[in-house]
Amino acid sequence: MKRLLTILALCGIASLLHASEMELEKVTVGTDVQTVGRGAEAVMNDCHSCHSMKYIRYRDLVNFGMDRQKVDGWRGDLSLDAPLLAQMPESDAAQAYGKAPPDLSLMTKAREGGVRYVYSYLLGYYLTPEGMPGNHYFPETKMPDVLGISGVTEGAQRTELQGKARDIVSFLAWSADPHEQERHRLGYYVIAYLLVLTVLLYLVKNQVWSGLK
Amino acid sequence: MGDSNVPDSTGRRDFLIRATAVVGGAGVAATCVPFVASMNPSSDVLAKAETEVDLSDITPGAMRTVAWQGKPVFILRRTPEQIAASAASAGGLDPEPDSRRAQKPEWLVVIGVCTHMGCVPNKEGPGWVCHCHGSQYDDSGRVLRGPAPKNLEVPPYRFAAENKIVIGTT
Amino acid sequence: MPQRIIKWPAGVIKWIDQRFPLTSFVKHELTGYPTPRNLSYWWNFGFLAGFVLVLQVATGIFLAMHYKADIALSFDSIQHIMRDVNYGWLLRYMHSTGASAFFLVIYIHMARTLYYGSYRAPRELLWWTGQGLLLLLMATAFMGYLLPWGQMSFWGATVITNLFRATPFVGDQVVIWLRGDYTVGDATLTRFFALHYLMPFLIIGAVVVHLVALHSVKSSNPSGINLADKDNIPFHPYFTAKDFYGLGVFLIVYSVFVFFMPDSLIEPANNIPANPMQTPNHIVPEWYFLPFYAILRSVPNMVGGVVAMGLSVMVFAFMPYLDRSRIPGGAHFRPMYRVLFYVFLADMAVLGYVGYIPPTETSILAGQIATLIYFTLFLQLPFVSKAEERWLIKRGLPPELEALIASEAHEKTKRGKR
Repeated sequence: MKRLLTILALCGIASLLHASEMELEKVTVGTDVQTVGRGAEAVMNDCHSCHSMKYIRYRDLVNFGMDRQKVDGWRGDLSLDAPLLAQMPESDAAQAYGKAPPDLSLMTKAREGGVRYVYSYLLGYYLTPEGMPGNHYFPETKMPDVLGISGVTEGAQRTELQGKARDIVSFLAWSADPHEQERHRLGYYVIAYLLVLTVLLYLVKNQVWSGLK
Repeated sequence: MGDSNVPDSTGRRDFLIRATAVVGGAGVAATCVPFVASMNPSSDVLAKAETEVDLSDITPGAMRTVAWQGKPVFILRRTPEQIAASAASAGGLDPEPDSRRAQKPEWLVVIGVCTHMGCVPNKEGPGWVCHCHGSQYDDSGRVLRGPAPKNLEVPPYRFAAENKIVIGTT
Repeated sequence: MPQRIIKWPAGVIKWIDQRFPLTSFVKHELTGYPTPRNLSYWWNFGFLAGFVLVLQVATGIFLAMHYKADIALSFDSIQHIMRDVNYGWLLRYMHSTGASAFFLVIYIHMARTLYYGSYRAPRELLWWTGQGLLLLLMATAFMGYLLPWGQMSFWGATVITNLFRATPFVGDQVVIWLRGDYTVGDATLTRFFALHYLMPFLIIGAVVVHLVALHSVKSSNPSGINLADKDNIPFHPYFTAKDFYGLGVFLIVYSVFVFFMPDSLIEPANNIPANPMQTPNHIVPEWYFLPFYAILRSVPNMVGGVVAMGLSVMVFAFMPYLDRSRIPGGAHFRPMYRVLFYVFLADMAVLGYVGYIPPTETSILAGQIATLIYFTLFLQLPFVSKAEERWLIKRGLPPELEALIASEAHEKTKRGKR
């Protein structure tokens, strides 16, 4: 028993050490068409030239309720069924950055920390004393500070960029899990139904067993 | 199986068990819905329900075959002679005026699937011949000789522009 | 007219009964199966395991209609299922959550067996068929985990197939044979899919064997004493009612995961397509393999680690012989065994945690100590269980227990003479 306690104590220390990394910033994503639409616009303007989102098609954006005119503007000559491929061919991007920029369709699900990580990362740029850009959350990143947060000192401007970052992660969260809303809605019905059924089954069980002896 | 002799309680028990069975059965039935639905065409297949076709490079008298919902659709640009011949006849086994089959006389759009057993007819001479069982169609896609019972089907389509049609929606 | 309606199925059943023992089978093995009346809710988990098996087979068959076992297509086909297929997201989350649910239910089922000593004579074969089922389940889960072709899928399969390098003399050849390639590749994926589809049917067969064994030795019960006939009640309606109630509770927990936190059971790295050129910084198996994985990592020698991990799973099979106590009943009546049982659970939790975190010096040390405790718990059992028995007998047993032990010993000598 003593040994066990020692191990538990050791594990506790280990987990503390583990948790002492950079704390992720908190963010609540929006699921409404406005927020996700603004996020899509920001992604199309600031990310889409290098990053693809190959599991999202222009049609998905229209079906979600985004402005058809805007989507038509983004897709140009491409079909509504075309996926959102990066404007820069992958090989060029690989040459420019040493490695092809990752596809963003699943980004908020593909990183430890999810939306909070992506949000923190976007806002995590800073300038080193030598004037070089750095990132708190992903120091090896090759991506430039697209939001321009590292040069910002003013509070109001910072808040604005936080709002933009939130729009972007809201859109990315939607594209990683487009059926989330539907899933939650169905989930409430299913669980409500199961609660009723389980209560009934409990009453049946009690009644059956009350007949014993 | 009730040990109780009170009829009231037996009735209540039966009711409870029946109600539970109904609720549970409804749940099982509802659970089948996603399983059955998953076998229906998925959204990317449904998205193929519309096909856009640019007509500008089809010369008079020429035919183009395009895929719509995986099926061949014949787009025939008819010459004035073909238009005249089609308008003059009412068809064969399944009479229908040509004006009801072509939105613009110059363009005939039909699904290239023989109404007999589903083979794809070949363009031969005036009209089409299906080599599976020998059915013949004219330049309006109307059946002239069996065994096919019906004319070639006209899909829903609309002219999006002078030289552009969208098959799948009217 | 009403008479005919009643007569019709009866006539059919009579026709069948003359050719096939339908009614007597249902009566003896299903509805009328004599079940100890004192079974607690811990005895619900066998039924639940059967239910989850059916659920996994059903969702799996429908997923297989959309999945493509090809390294160029499999990751995309999962996204196709998640985004385009009608209710595909539901089927996939039911299946991925179902895998975890299966292990949870099976582990509770096993823990119950260990706590109440249900593995003891005459239920050794029942326990061993269960052990076989566990191995089949683990193999099925492992192969299924490769199918999404994410980073964790790929590196998990790479590490686990590499375990076979520990095979004497032909280790490297065996690994290549298993993969059909020099690394985990297209051949591996395709065969894992074929086997992942096959294994559930082997599991169903093994479940039938497990149930035949159960029905010949009958269910154990919390008292540990074979009950007199008067204390057995028919399975239906008593245990059908109880099992269905348990199923309702299970489904609520399951649905919370399926609908509200399905990704909590999927590692983020598995949402990145497999990349044979780059290992993720932190690779972890699914939670249900973590304790065994920790044991593998704790042994500094490769072959030793593989052997230790294999033993840690297979050691359960020796329980009927390791536990030498003749005191009937489970840990409830055996204070020392009870303490050991809880130490075992705590040790599993520690191993699971150690298996989850990236290896550090402290975590490796903790893992090694926990591994040592794990095997010590099994190795000391023959001595402790015997000592505990002597102590309990000295302290005085209830007379009915003593009579039972005496009659069991008597029967043993009788059997020995014969």
